[in-house]
Amino acid sequence: MTLDKLKGLEELNQLSFSEDEKSSVIKIFENMNENEKILGEYNTDNTDVMVHVMPMTNVLREDVRKQPFSRDDLLKGAPEHTEDSWQVPRLVK
Amino acid sequence: MSYYVTEIDTKGNIAVDDTLLVKDVLSTAGSHILEGFAPLFSAEVVERVQKAGYTVSGKANVGEFGLDLVGEFSNKAATKDGSLVGAAAQLVAEGSVKAALGVDLNGAPRRAAALSKVNFIKPTYGTVSRYGVIPCACSGEQVGVYAANIADLKQVLSVISGHDDKDGTSLQHDSYDYDTDLEVKGTKVCIIKELLSSADDSVKASVSAYAEKLRKCGVVVEEVSFDMVNAAQTAWQILMAAETCNNLSRYDGVKFGYRTPNYNNIDELYVNTRTEGLNFLTKATIIYGSDVLSKGRYNDCYDKSLRVRRLVVEQIKKLLGDFDAILTPVCSKAEYKPYDIAEAFTKVFDESRYTAIANLTGIPALVSGGVQLMGSYFDESLILSLAKCVERVSE
Repeated sequence: MTLDKLKGLEELNQLSFSEDEKSSVIKIFENMNENEKILGEYNTDNTDVMVHVMPMTNVLREDVRKQPFSRDDLLKGAPEHTEDSWQVPRLVK
Repeated sequence: MSYYVTEIDTKGNIAVDDTLLVKDVLSTAGSHILEGFAPLFSAEVVERVQKAGYTVSGKANVGEFGLDLVGEFSNKAATKDGSLVGAAAQLVAEGSVKAALGVDLNGAPRRAAALSKVNFIKPTYGTVSRYGVIPCACSGEQVGVYAANIADLKQVLSVISGHDDKDGTSLQHDSYDYDTDLEVKGTKVCIIKELLSSADDSVKASVSAYAEKLRKCGVVVEEVSFDMVNAAQTAWQILMAAETCNNLSRYDGVKFGYRTPNYNNIDELYVNTRTEGLNFLTKATIIYGSDVLSKGRYNDCYDKSLRVRRLVVEQIKKLLGDFDAILTPVCSKAEYKPYDIAEAFTKVFDESRYTAIANLTGIPALVSGGVQLMGSYFDESLILSLAKCVERVSE
């Protein structure tokens, strides 16, 4: 991990670290890169990925129209909102 | 000291950890970024315990999104006599509640139960609904139960388990019939050498003492080698971080929770909200998760971990074909002291050595008497019966 690459990841994830924190993150990556080597010791050429440990079936149901929450309820938890919308800074000038 | 983030009913008999939603009650998952968030519905497990006649006492403190050791990096970190304790576990240990519900995504409730000398069970993945859990690492996290004794543990687990249409990962069985009185005489339990040898002497002594009590129950206990411990630990760290990265991308300061006051445009709103709202451990986990999903790293890390998960599952099934249960430490130490958050990622990774197998594979894991018993899928009854027998011989 380099500072440049870390900057890219910070931008991608829309967060940032202080200078001190950056040094700690780089140490974490150094440590994890060492740990990751263990995975290479296992031949998985003929092993399928396992995303879910339990067999998953896609369960379909009929579409049912309903209004689970009112607009007012949904807006109640918003940091800022107008009468009927969540409020964010202007995106288009 | 209060172990609650929000107290609901002083006469309540069951606490729920703060990653479980309770309708209209502040739910923060231990994070500043969910400041002020009061959900519009309750978690399925909360509804089930309420329907069964339990009263929720309050929201017990958790570490931010359950990513730390036992809750030390959160709104209200708790210590007892200078050592870290988990809030829900401690509420049970002090007799404030009969039981508590907690979310296990990387072993925090299991460690907390061991430190507070109570029981915690993380049941088989998919047997308990995750609807209404503030999600982090969906493929391995599971709601479990803390209780002071095995009988109470079974009672509450029976209430919360069973199919839920609202959770796509919920298995189809309507209910599970747990038994704590199976005949354990003649059953075989193995101790994983690699996990025993890395723990400190006091933990080794606890495992040996527990093994001795199992022998008094007529159980055959043997040490065996399981050479996928390190691989399981690393694979789960990679998968957990990747899933955390995805799940926590929803926190942006727009629809709910914390919003930074420091912004002039939408990009600053997102970045400053997430930077101020999440702690270092969470941010480092997100960044690592993002990295293992990135081009150039995906195949060797994320994809490889999904394949190693299958190998670990196969090996664990094989081991549990030869033995009825597995006995291991659940922590490397008998107590943790407060430490700096800069060390948290590595410290939690190191401790996840003991807990990762159960999260990665989804097998049930029970902490009792400060040690961990793991069993085959859907075989909670056997590990509960083993622990109950040890309870009896300890009296």
